[in-house]
Amino acid sequence: MTLMTERYLAVVLRSIPERQRADVDRELRSSIADAVEDRVAAGEDRPGAERAVLEGLGEPSRLAAGYTGRPLYLIGPEFYPAYRDVLLKLVAVVMPIVAVALTVVELAGGVSYVDALLAGFGAAISTGVHVAFWVTLFFMFLERAEVTREARTEMANATGRWTVDRLPEEGSHRVGAGETVGEVLTTMLTIGGLLFLRDLSWVTRADGEVVPLFDPALTTFWFPVLAAILALMALIQVVVYMAGRWTITLASGYTILQLAFAVPVVTLALRGTLINPTFAAEVGWPPLAAGDGLVMLALAAVVTFVSAWEIFDAFRRARRAHRTQRAVAAGQIVSQ
Amino acid sequence: MVDDDVLGSHRQELRRGTIVLACLMALRAPEYGYALLKRLDVAGIPSDGNTIYPLLRRLEERGLLESEWNTDESRPRKFYRTSATGTDLARQLLTDMTKLTASLHGLNGGTKR
Repeated sequence: MTLMTERYLAVVLRSIPERQRADVDRELRSSIADAVEDRVAAGEDRPGAERAVLEGLGEPSRLAAGYTGRPLYLIGPEFYPAYRDVLLKLVAVVMPIVAVALTVVELAGGVSYVDALLAGFGAAISTGVHVAFWVTLFFMFLERAEVTREARTEMANATGRWTVDRLPEEGSHRVGAGETVGEVLTTMLTIGGLLFLRDLSWVTRADGEVVPLFDPALTTFWFPVLAAILALMALIQVVVYMAGRWTITLASGYTILQLAFAVPVVTLALRGTLINPTFAAEVGWPPLAAGDGLVMLALAAVVTFVSAWEIFDAFRRARRAHRTQRAVAAGQIVSQ
Repeated sequence: MVDDDVLGSHRQELRRGTIVLACLMALRAPEYGYALLKRLDVAGIPSDGNTIYPLLRRLEERGLLESEWNTDESRPRKFYRTSATGTDLARQLLTDMTKLTASLHGLNGGTKR
């Protein structure tokens, strides 16, 4: 084996899973050697024969994709319609909101109409770019993730054997695009809110130093974690949309995420470690930060209630969708 | 006259559909990758290494082929052989293929009349 073949194999094997690598390596080596020997026996010079064989095998990353079955595209035909749907709807909803909101805020801040409009327009554009990027990343992940297997099968079931009965009707439990966009938007706004709140404070100490609203130790670790959990929740919402309905598996995954979000928040609130005590002292209302204070108790109650509702709702809808499907399968007319 | 590009791409489509069947039939006698490629070529079913080598592995993963390393000779080679399931599948696909060819000939005759 010459350096040329070694370099070729190195690129192919790079993206082959560890457990198959040695075997593919060994087999490809002998296949290449066989082909080279054949050409040499037919009178070609060795370097030329090797080059021809490798070029015949083609681009190494393409060959590797053949072995792994990994897609050579960002978003395939299965997900593309949903991707386009979600992207267009999100952009169409978010961009105008941002444009109007920012223009109003700027105007309230006392700048000229032109400047306010420009600021709103600029913010809308950059938000649109952000939304497009994240949605694309989302779907790219969906295309490759193992967890979407179930959703894929369900989508195949939903689209593969299409009958007129599958047309959406009033009261059906199909999860709509509008609903999904709403849910994802809410989650995104919450993430944005978290990241915005992290740096929020209007209180400065006598020495001019800013006193943050939340415990600084908290914001460096918990805020990114909570933001990540929220992002995963949004991901599940998208998967639910792809599958067309909630399933017990999806509801279970969603439950885990809800708990992962609610338990730390409630714990932090009740321990009194959510709000910076210095902040509470500075504004002259220490009970604000206290674990047994009214604010933290109310916060804990609200978070608990919302999470419990979300979990209950996910399971309830999974069960209803299941029943509807069974009824449709049994040939009953579903009308409510 | 049909454009060469058009002919080429349609031919490729047609072959893509039959290459699995060709492999399953050819491998009823054990063979290693490169030898299979040559055998298919001689039989009039030309293919490429970058199609066949990954395909053999995928068919093996699905249990349609079985494999064994032969290290007796100077160069170790992975031999593939069609499994019982693979043979069953090949038989059914071949029946379909024959019917399909007959149907196409039937259609062809229909236009001549």
